[in-house]
Amino acid sequence: MRLLEPVTLAGRTAPSRVIFGPHETNLGVPGPDGRALSAAHVAYYARRAVGGCGIVVTETASVHDSDWPYERAPLAALCGRGWADTAAAVHEQGALAIASLGHGGLQGSSAYHQRALWAPSRFPDPATREVPMVMEQLDIDTLVAGFAASAALAVQAGMDGIELEAGQASLLRQFLSGLTNTRADGYGTDRARLVREVVAAVRAVAGPGIAVGLRLSCDELAPWAGITPESSEALGKVLAGGVDYIVAVRAGPFDAGGSRPDSQVDEGFALPLAYRLRDVLPASTLVAAQGSIVDPTMAEAALGRVDLVEMTRAQIADPDLVAKLADPSRGRPRPCTRCNQTCRVRDARNPIVSCIGEPRSGHELTDPDPAGQAAPVRELLVVGAGPAGLEAARVAAARGHRVRVIEQSDTAGGAVTAAARGARRDPLALLTGWLVEECDRLGVTREHGRLATAADLDAAFDAGTQVVVATGSVAAVPPWRPTCTLPVLTARQLLEGAELPAGIVVIDDPIGGPVGISVAENLAAAGIEAHLVSQDVTVGTQLARTGDLAAASGRLARAGVTLHKRSRLLDASSGGVVIEDRYTGATTNVPAALVVDAGPALPHASLADGREVAVAGDAVAPRTIAEAVLEGRRAALAVER
Amino acid sequence: MSGTTYRHLFTPLRIGPVTVANRIVFSAHLTNYAENGRPSPQHAAYYAERAAGGAGLIITEEHSTHPTDWPYEKLIHGFHEDVIPGYRAITEAVHAHGTPIFAQINHNGGQASSMYTRLPVWAPSPVPDPLFREVPKAVTVAEIAEIVAGYALVAAHCRTGGFDGVELQCSHSSIVRGFLSEATNRRTDSYGGSLSNRARVLLEIVGAVREAIGPGMALGVRLCGDELIDHGTTIEEATAVAAMVEATGQVDYVNTSIGTATATLHMIEASMAVPPGYALWIASAMRKAVSLPVIGVGRFKDPLQADRALTDGHCDLVGVVRGQIADAFFAAKARAGLATTIRTCLSCNQECVGRMGLNRWLGCIENPRTGKEAVPLPAPVARPRQVLVAGAGPAGMQAAIAAAQAGHQVEVYESEPLTGGQVRLAASIPHRAEFGDLVRNQLAELARLDVPIHCGTAVTSALVAERQPDVVVLATGSDPDRPWWAGDNGHVVDVTDVVRAAVDVRGDILVVDELGFHQATSVAELLADRGCTVEVCTPGMVVGQDLGVTLDMEAWWMRAAAKKILQTTDVIVTEVAVAEDGRLRVSLQEHTTGVGSERTVDWVVLAVPAKPRDALWAELAGTGIAIHRVGDCLAPRRAHAAVIEGQRIGAAL
Repeated sequence: MRLLEPVTLAGRTAPSRVIFGPHETNLGVPGPDGRALSAAHVAYYARRAVGGCGIVVTETASVHDSDWPYERAPLAALCGRGWADTAAAVHEQGALAIASLGHGGLQGSSAYHQRALWAPSRFPDPATREVPMVMEQLDIDTLVAGFAASAALAVQAGMDGIELEAGQASLLRQFLSGLTNTRADGYGTDRARLVREVVAAVRAVAGPGIAVGLRLSCDELAPWAGITPESSEALGKVLAGGVDYIVAVRAGPFDAGGSRPDSQVDEGFALPLAYRLRDVLPASTLVAAQGSIVDPTMAEAALGRVDLVEMTRAQIADPDLVAKLADPSRGRPRPCTRCNQTCRVRDARNPIVSCIGEPRSGHELTDPDPAGQAAPVRELLVVGAGPAGLEAARVAAARGHRVRVIEQSDTAGGAVTAAARGARRDPLALLTGWLVEECDRLGVTREHGRLATAADLDAAFDAGTQVVVATGSVAAVPPWRPTCTLPVLTARQLLEGAELPAGIVVIDDPIGGPVGISVAENLAAAGIEAHLVSQDVTVGTQLARTGDLAAASGRLARAGVTLHKRSRLLDASSGGVVIEDRYTGATTNVPAALVVDAGPALPHASLADGREVAVAGDAVAPRTIAEAVLEGRRAALAVER
Repeated sequence: MSGTTYRHLFTPLRIGPVTVANRIVFSAHLTNYAENGRPSPQHAAYYAERAAGGAGLIITEEHSTHPTDWPYEKLIHGFHEDVIPGYRAITEAVHAHGTPIFAQINHNGGQASSMYTRLPVWAPSPVPDPLFREVPKAVTVAEIAEIVAGYALVAAHCRTGGFDGVELQCSHSSIVRGFLSEATNRRTDSYGGSLSNRARVLLEIVGAVREAIGPGMALGVRLCGDELIDHGTTIEEATAVAAMVEATGQVDYVNTSIGTATATLHMIEASMAVPPGYALWIASAMRKAVSLPVIGVGRFKDPLQADRALTDGHCDLVGVVRGQIADAFFAAKARAGLATTIRTCLSCNQECVGRMGLNRWLGCIENPRTGKEAVPLPAPVARPRQVLVAGAGPAGMQAAIAAAQAGHQVEVYESEPLTGGQVRLAASIPHRAEFGDLVRNQLAELARLDVPIHCGTAVTSALVAERQPDVVVLATGSDPDRPWWAGDNGHVVDVTDVVRAAVDVRGDILVVDELGFHQATSVAELLADRGCTVEVCTPGMVVGQDLGVTLDMEAWWMRAAAKKILQTTDVIVTEVAVAEDGRLRVSLQEHTTGVGSERTVDWVVLAVPAKPRDALWAELAGTGIAIHRVGDCLAPRRAHAAVIEGQRIGAAL
């Protein structure tokens, strides 16, 4: 495989062509050193190098204290120690470590340093609407010096290279773009000038034996003034001379999360940008492809046309991605679902980077490594083959225990199977599919179509077999339900293919997560008039975390879904649905034929009542795949206690 | 005015074993000052400043009682023994001023998520909280015992840490509230059903905590008088619970609150849109139900208002939180007869409440010291300099205050006849009058510092040459800008033109909101009140989006509906043309769908980003004179940025 071939950058050889790209982690330690790379960062990066990653690029560090884009954003001046430890740990595995350096400019935040944001021109960030200050020559000189000093520190720490951030949320891109740079001076008439100066200054301190890379937005999706795929060719040619590699990304000020979208956007969406650059740049400048490349097959194909592939989320989902490709006897890598539910952490609450399918990601220092062989070997009965039960079975079996799963349904996957039928959420089923495949590979016995009973648990108890109850959830009773005279389906029933009556469908979505939204999209796609009721001022508020909030609203609008914002489903007892505005009390009547309950469910764990057994996932409390997998894994490890 | 103006405010009161010198309580509120679950030096400095400022009693922010409870990142994990050194630092710093300090202890229950704990959220029943939206795990009886033990453990930590008392938060974000309320307690065992069953966990905690702290510390219970939610606790049940609490004989006072932190937060930390003293009726009802001292809360802005609440018999003590965030010396100034010098809270919620939900440290729009009490004050300058400040808006006035406090010779010039800049304009609008206290407070401070203000005099390079200052601080603000589509049509005007009454706007109005804060909504209301037909449109997903941060959104929606103000989102203006009848024809495009629409209106009012008024900066650059820009003339932003920048530059000259 080309993926597994070594590659040389500035005379330094990486063992594979797979990059773990720069991304927010929130792994910094709260407190005075909150902007340093922490021991948790080092463990996180080292784990990917152990798993065969070729090049680890550390989280983008601000080159100057005028930039503090999120609370735990690394500050280069504080990163010397973390870079040194990362370089040492990564080098131990033979991989390369590169430091990403950047400045968020007008896309930063003034909340932490409480100063004006820096920008080429007076263009407020659409996300915050904050007007930045226009940089003068002194500020520009300070910025260039900041890049140089930060690069010098990284090199001194033993890093193999520097990656300059001119991608989604960067001051360098803001200078390159006609959207944000309307300066009349030499930095405006020649918008690439600043980046050239930065590259030259960094190269001057780094010397020839250090890789210098550029993360470059090649499409801002704003063709009226922004960087376009066409204009990126000239830009690439102008900038390629000074750098060893370019990572082609797609994103701009109107969608700063767009370089790493969820499954609503196609896999490999930015590949054409990388191919285009490869076609016009000299061979001495390597080109890396980026952008929802999570499937090794796609990555391998891309390497036929470019030199490197960035597979960041794929390695959050499975740190052993490359090692497993090199040794198929270890099984297939755990697939990335591109759900963005726990790996996307640009969020004021500072969540720690993780993965719904691999909960140890981001928690390498605190969570036990589930690998290894147990002694003595035990018997385990798992009730339920949803994500919690499957993960419990998989981990226990991998550790050598003898595992049997009983599942009432004919198929595995539990609630995930239904959720994956929501609009463009099909990759969710990749994870449960992989869990089933791994369970089978590891010798787990699965009995489908049988409802586990108290007798099964009694028998297990008598035989000394341990039990994990992962029986999922049941529908709750929303306030309007007892008097409802219309047909009602839960979102799950609808997604599982229940028959729909003809007519209007009202979806009660008190959660604002992906389920209600995707149900509305499915209905609209089927030509059904759908109404979505949300308690919030916008629909789908919980999608802010995954980056799909604004995009989802746009899709619903285009699909013609009627949105009832800041509202609640008040009553469905007299033939239609009464929807109430939460603030004004005004009501709207919708002549609906069906109500869909997209609200929270209730735990279903009656089997565990009165018994000392482990319970995991929705059977504890109906939540998401992340909690199910985490608790399933914990239950498996607890077998040995 | 002297301290004797107040009949009750400065009389002592016994709260169980503790005697407070006055009735002003700095009651519990989040600060986000904790680091890694432990209290920080900033906590100690923050509370000590309020103790030095004369507060009668300080109650700290909540300390969590159990590892299942971690709803927001910067929570104090009271259940870890390693909090005790931090507790000692806080209590010693506060006791140095002779002020008693209590610790609030709490488990947030279902009003939380598993984001930080990676454990199921605990609650009486699997009823998800409307904010966190995570289905909690219904606790077992064994887990209830664990919760009770957690309270006792943390209470013991508080005792070791030197606190004078403990308050049980059972009010707006608490597992105890969850048990008390029928909205969240669906249990069928002995902890659910009747009120006495729902109160069982509270009474168990009271007993366990009293045992842990012994007779030498005060014990209080904070109860919610009305959750303001369907099937929630109302005053009848709340007063009945207060009576049960009193009947234990183990509790020394009752604190009160209104609303729940996750469903009706806008009523807990009400902005200036809600009348002062709005929650006092709850304390009043409690005081009738029990003989224990009762604390009343809810937008107490000035000491006379607080004294009146005591005189009228509504409560025995008054919680003044934001009032003492804005001015730590609220109590001392009142007691000394200097109430007019108190830096009155605006209830704008921009830097205190507004930062809490965003996981940022607590500050204050007009008190730059808030949140930075642990940073030593700079020594006065050795060599005073002549400072000329151009502009008497919030940035310029704060720069002048800071420079004068540092010992410099300062004078302020303002081109307009009045000081205050855009703050004065903003405060002239319905519901926003209290914002004007910012100007009043800054002017009062400048008067005390003897800083001359020359209104009606614009600073020019000639004036600078004549005055020959060592430093010029430019705080000249901003000018309205016009988007490309506005052209030069005289009926397309800025919000400031409307507020200044520079134009007589009537008829059908379209307000374009690109700022997402009070500018558009305030003007829309002003015009609707005058009889105009008003629509507000925005390219954003919500009109006035950041009103949610300051808890102004709910009331805006209600008022907008009452005033028939139409709100249109996700649209951009593509053209403004003059129709045949002379009115304006505005073309809008929904950017999510590309669908166009038209409006025919009499006026278009712009709430769009302004441009810096910085001509003098260019003029003076290169003349060798030291010059700084602060506030809008650097980058047009909101008032808090102006004040912070003015303070930083003024203090650093």
